[in-house]
Amino acid sequence: MTIIGKNMVNSKKKVKILTGNHAAAYAFRHARVGVMSAYPITPQSPVVEKISEFIEKGKLKARFLLVESEHSAAAACCAASASGSRVGTATSAHGLMLMYELLPWASGTRLPIIINLATRSCGAPWSVWDDHSDFITIRDVGWIQFMCEDNQEIYDTNIQAFKISEDPRVNIPTIVAYDGYILSHTMMPIELENQEDIDTFLPPLNHHINLSDISQVKGVGPVTTPDIIKRKEGTAPGYYEFRYSLQKALENSINVIKEVHDEFAKKFGRAYGNGLFKTYKTDDADTIIFAMGSVSAQARTVIEKLREEGLKIGLVSLRLFRPFPIKYLREFFKGKKNIIVFDREIGYGYEGVLSYELKAALYGLKNPPFIKSFIVGLGGRDVKSEYIIEGVHKSLELAKKGDIIYKTEYFGLKLDELKDYDEQEFLKGGGK
Amino acid sequence: MEKVEKDIVEITFHGRGGQTSVTGSQLLAECAYEEGFKDTIAIPIIGAERRGAPILAFTKISKNKPIRTYDSVKDPDYMLIFDISLLDIPRVLATIKEGVIVIADSVAPLDKSKFPDNVKVFIVDATGICIKRSFMHSSGPILNIPMLGAFGKVSGYYGLDVMEKVLKKNFGENRLEKNMRVARDAYESVKEG
Repeated sequence: MTIIGKNMVNSKKKVKILTGNHAAAYAFRHARVGVMSAYPITPQSPVVEKISEFIEKGKLKARFLLVESEHSAAAACCAASASGSRVGTATSAHGLMLMYELLPWASGTRLPIIINLATRSCGAPWSVWDDHSDFITIRDVGWIQFMCEDNQEIYDTNIQAFKISEDPRVNIPTIVAYDGYILSHTMMPIELENQEDIDTFLPPLNHHINLSDISQVKGVGPVTTPDIIKRKEGTAPGYYEFRYSLQKALENSINVIKEVHDEFAKKFGRAYGNGLFKTYKTDDADTIIFAMGSVSAQARTVIEKLREEGLKIGLVSLRLFRPFPIKYLREFFKGKKNIIVFDREIGYGYEGVLSYELKAALYGLKNPPFIKSFIVGLGGRDVKSEYIIEGVHKSLELAKKGDIIYKTEYFGLKLDELKDYDEQEFLKGGGK
Repeated sequence: MEKVEKDIVEITFHGRGGQTSVTGSQLLAECAYEEGFKDTIAIPIIGAERRGAPILAFTKISKNKPIRTYDSVKDPDYMLIFDISLLDIPRVLATIKEGVIVIADSVAPLDKSKFPDNVKVFIVDATGICIKRSFMHSSGPILNIPMLGAFGKVSGYYGLDVMEKVLKKNFGENRLEKNMRVARDAYESVKEG
C-alpha cells in the first residue's frame, strides 16, 4: 500500500488544523481514555493541557490525575490500567526517564498503556529541542514503539495503538513518538474521524486484569523465584517464563500491528506503508535511505532531486521500531545494493542506533547491501537537505571502492566554527 | 497589491514575546486553508520564550501540493515584522533578501537603505489601530489580527470574509466584532511605505 496519510485534497471529512500535540490529545479523546495521569514537560505539555480542557468542558469523561512527578504519573497509569481502565499519558526526555522504573513493570504486567512521546534530547547540557535520544532509551523494556512522520499519523497511530495494545494476543504497552517542536508544535490540517466510527473500530476495553474485582484477580506482579514453584494448587511460573511470554507476545504482535493497520486503512482510507515501515519510490531502487520521523520527512523531499541525477534511489521510513520488523526488512532489502542510514541519536560508544539495528537485522543475508551511517540533527540542529544529498553521494563513492568503514560520520557539526575547539576544554565547561 | 504565485508560499513572522506573532502564524495557516489552499503548516521556532524576546515563526501555504518540509524558512516570500526595532538585529536583517515583500507595523515609511534591491515594503499602523480600538491584552496590543488583515489585503490570498470565519471559530461570536474591527481597519489602511 502506498502512503495516503497526508492527503487532505478534497477531503469530505472534518478537517482541523492542529499541532502534533493536539492531534495526540484528540486521539485520546476519541479513544475515550478513562484515566489520564500526566506531568507537564516541554515540549509535550500542550497534550496534557488540551486533555484537561476536554475533561473540564465535559467533552471527555475521564479522571485526570494531578501528580507531582512523572514517576507518579507512570505509577498511577499502571494502577489505573490494572483496574481495568483505558489509560494514557504523555511525556518527553527526562520525564520519560523518570518514568523508567515503571516501564518494564507495565510491560511485564502486560498493561495496555499508551504513552505519547514528543521527542527531546537528553541532558546534559540542557536542551529542550528535538532529537531521538529519549526514544531509544526505552528500546529494551518490552514496549511497542512507533515513530510518526506527520500530525495525521500521530492521530491515526494513537487510535491504532490502543487497539493493538488491548488485543488479547498482545497486551503490551505502546509508545507513540513524534519529533518535539518539529511536529509537536507545528500546525497542519488533519482529518478527524467521527466518534461513532472510532467507537466501532475501537470497542471498550475488556481487560485481562481487573483489580477492582478481587474475586477475579488477587494481585499482579508477585515475587517470582529463579525456578518455577510447584504447589498443590498448581504450578507457578518463574520470572523467566513470564518474560519469555512477553518476548513471544512482542514477536507475534507484528501480525496484529499489520492487521490493525490494514483494518484502519480500509475503514478510514489512510495507510502507512505496510504498517511497519513506509516506502517511497523504492520499486526500481537499488539505493535506499533508511531513517525515521523528521529525518525521513526531510529525506522524502530530496529523493526527486537525487533521481534527476540518474540515481535509482528510494526511502524507507521506519514506523515500528520495536518489535523491530526483522523479517520484513530482510525481505525488503534482499537484492538492494546500498543503504544510507541517518540517525538522529547516538548509541553512545557505538554508532547510530538505527544503523546497528539494521546491520544486525540483515546479518547473514547473501550479497548484503553496503550500509553507511550518519548522525544528524542532535539537540534540534536543522537537518538540511544538503546533508542527505551529500551523505548519499559520499556513501555511493565509498561503496564503489568497496570501502566498508565502520566509522560514523556527522553532518551539521560546526567544530570548525569554534575557533579554539579543544577536547580538554570541553570537558571542563562545555566550551566557551 | 503584491500577490506571489507559486506552489508553496513561505511567510515569516518576526515579533517579540507577547506580540502574538506565533498565534498569528497559526491563524494565517487556518485562513489559507479556509480559502481553499490544499495544505498549510505553521511552525514556531521555540526557545526560551519570554515577554519582549525576539520570536520567529513560519507559515507555509500550498495551493495544490502537500507540504513535506518542516524545517525553518530561509528564503521567505513575505515577511511580517511586528516590531521594526527587530530590524536592528543583524540576523533578522540578513533574512531580508532580494524580492521579498515586507509588511511592517509602522507609522512612518521604513529606512530602506539597509535592504537589498527589489524589496517591496508595506506599512500598517497596527499598534495604533489596536490602541484606538482598545484591542489589548495584559502586556500590550494584540497585533496579530491587524497584521493578518494587512497581509490578506497585500497578498490577496484571502479576504475579510475568510478572516471572519476563522476568528469566529477560534475566539467565538462574542469577540468577533472586536476582532473584525481591527482586521478591517488594517485591511483598509495598509499602504506602500
